[in-house]
Amino acid sequence: MAYRGGGGHVKPPSALCSSVNSGKFSTCTALSHNICMVSDFFYPNMGGVESHIYQLSQCLIQRGHKVIIVTHAYRDRKGIRYLTNGLKVYYLPLKVMYNQSTATTLFHSLPLLRYIFVRERVTIVHSHSSFSSMAHDALFHAKTMGLHTVFTDHSLFGFADVSSVLTNKLLTVSLCDTNHIICVSYTSKENTVLRAALKPEIVSVIPNAVDPTDFTPDPFRRHDSITIVVVSRLVYRKGTDLLCGIIPELCQKYQNLNFIIGGEGPKRIILEEVRERYQLHDRVRLLGALEHKDVRDVLVQGHIFLNTSLTEAFCMAIVEAASCGLQVVSTKVGGIPEVLPESLIVLCEPSVKSLCEGLEKAIFQLKSGTLPTPENIHNIVKTFYTWKNVARRTEKVYELVLKEDVLSVDKRLDRLISHCGSVTGHIFALLAVLNYLFLIVLRWITPDSVIDVAIDATGPRGAWTHHCPHSEKRGENEKVSKTR
Amino acid sequence: MEDKRIFSDICGGRLALQCRSYSPFCREFCVSCPRLSLRSLTAVTCTVWLAAYGLFALCENSMILSAAIFITLLGLLGYLHFVKIDQETLLIIDSLGIQMTSSYASGKENTTFIEMGKVKDIVINEAIYMQKVIYYLCILLKDPLEPHNISQVVPVFQSAKPRLDCLIEVYKSCQEVLAHQKATSTRP
Repeated sequence: MAYRGGGGHVKPPSALCSSVNSGKFSTCTALSHNICMVSDFFYPNMGGVESHIYQLSQCLIQRGHKVIIVTHAYRDRKGIRYLTNGLKVYYLPLKVMYNQSTATTLFHSLPLLRYIFVRERVTIVHSHSSFSSMAHDALFHAKTMGLHTVFTDHSLFGFADVSSVLTNKLLTVSLCDTNHIICVSYTSKENTVLRAALKPEIVSVIPNAVDPTDFTPDPFRRHDSITIVVVSRLVYRKGTDLLCGIIPELCQKYQNLNFIIGGEGPKRIILEEVRERYQLHDRVRLLGALEHKDVRDVLVQGHIFLNTSLTEAFCMAIVEAASCGLQVVSTKVGGIPEVLPESLIVLCEPSVKSLCEGLEKAIFQLKSGTLPTPENIHNIVKTFYTWKNVARRTEKVYELVLKEDVLSVDKRLDRLISHCGSVTGHIFALLAVLNYLFLIVLRWITPDSVIDVAIDATGPRGAWTHHCPHSEKRGENEKVSKTR
Repeated sequence: MEDKRIFSDICGGRLALQCRSYSPFCREFCVSCPRLSLRSLTAVTCTVWLAAYGLFALCENSMILSAAIFITLLGLLGYLHFVKIDQETLLIIDSLGIQMTSSYASGKENTTFIEMGKVKDIVINEAIYMQKVIYYLCILLKDPLEPHNISQVVPVFQSAKPRLDCLIEVYKSCQEVLAHQKATSTRP
């Protein structure tokens, strides 16, 4: 790790930044990190993890860090792309196995990932989502290369069925020597700590955020009827079956009640069956799959937002709905009770009866006019979850991580064997040793000094953030190679 | 005016970059790899022959030995004639165009010419190549129907694959020529 400078804390980029460009721009902080976000899930795939990575990276770039994203190729989108503000994305040509997750052999991605880590002078590898095998691969390789590692877990898991048992074992192996773990809610932290048998001290809670300017209430909302909005994927986990029980019951009770359901999924067929059986075509509208930019326009058509999830680490949808000024009715599962204060949410048990009671309570409040106005709700919610806050807290985690030492190979093997049970521990210790040997071979074939240092797009020496003449950039490059 | 400098390629091998400028707006860049070394030639020949002798000892058929002779000879000829590129030249003339020549070790030459009207720009790009992420110099060609779009990307120095410092050198000179060309072509 010669390029990480003395002790691993003083990095050549930041040292250079103070010597070459001191006083030229104020955003250049003394501690700026080179962060590599790794996940199988990134745009053009849509979802919570994808937007989390994107928004967090953008805020970190604004705070003067260098951020790159590594993901796998999506059809014809492969190679290297730049997004807004010079966010560099590597779409690596790795085979996708299942559900947009790459196949893992633990070794085949090492040559490319190592090349990227070296050429981008990465100091922190930040992996996202436990479903992503590329994220775990990257953690494994980064630890072999002696880089600092952070992992963000976005989902809750069970403990009982076979697939969860296996995933939990793998998670134990992957996280036992990771420097720090971030969870999106306290429930998620509890879940992760139990699943991966971790020390709670190395797990931080940083919630997700929404962009409040995207989700504003509509001042011209209609008041003649009451509309309940549901926006979720129509799958078992999101409780679509509960929804099927609620719709006929409430539609019988209230004559001026409408439903708008946005989202697509395998459970759509049973919703259509319900609509058919009770002749509710004029009152239940199924919109199908929504693009993220259309979500706000759907939300503001309603008065009450209903969330029927059966498991949820941190529900972004209810924050988005509340930000649009809707009264939220939700199941009391996972991290949801932590998300909003009691005045803005009606919590119910995940059963048809309890949800109906909750909805009736919300409808009563709406009719009697005891609810705060949408503008008020928006103004309260927009202070809760901002990406700037998330980025600031994540930055603190990075600083904490950089103060720690990366485990040396022998300590890492000890940790694996003592932490993950004797059989799995020994197998993965062997794999770690093989990975290390593979790395030595790779270093022998292409030494670090032969790898070109990439020209930064973001960070203190970013070519996008400040336009410096070309010759200067080259000069810096040469200086970096001299410091190696 | 001639200027010769030593750079390295992406695998760490030696490359020589020769810049000739015939006039301020006519320049030639020549990247030459080291010639086929006697050592690697000997090594390959020895391996083929040892393998052939091993097989010969097993099945005692002298056809194997003659086959080995042909394989080595044909392989060497094919390699020199179709694979091994000794020199790649980029000649840029502001009023005319860009000519790329690659000369094979056998003496065969391959020349491509792109007229200036088609050239949109010359840029350095990044690509994933085998298990590496490399920089390469490429010429962007205009779409004949819509001049603002790019119809094709032509990589330069494809076999030599010089490192970034060498590419920047070539890039800067080419940009000077292109800038002059643009200035003169827009002038009425």
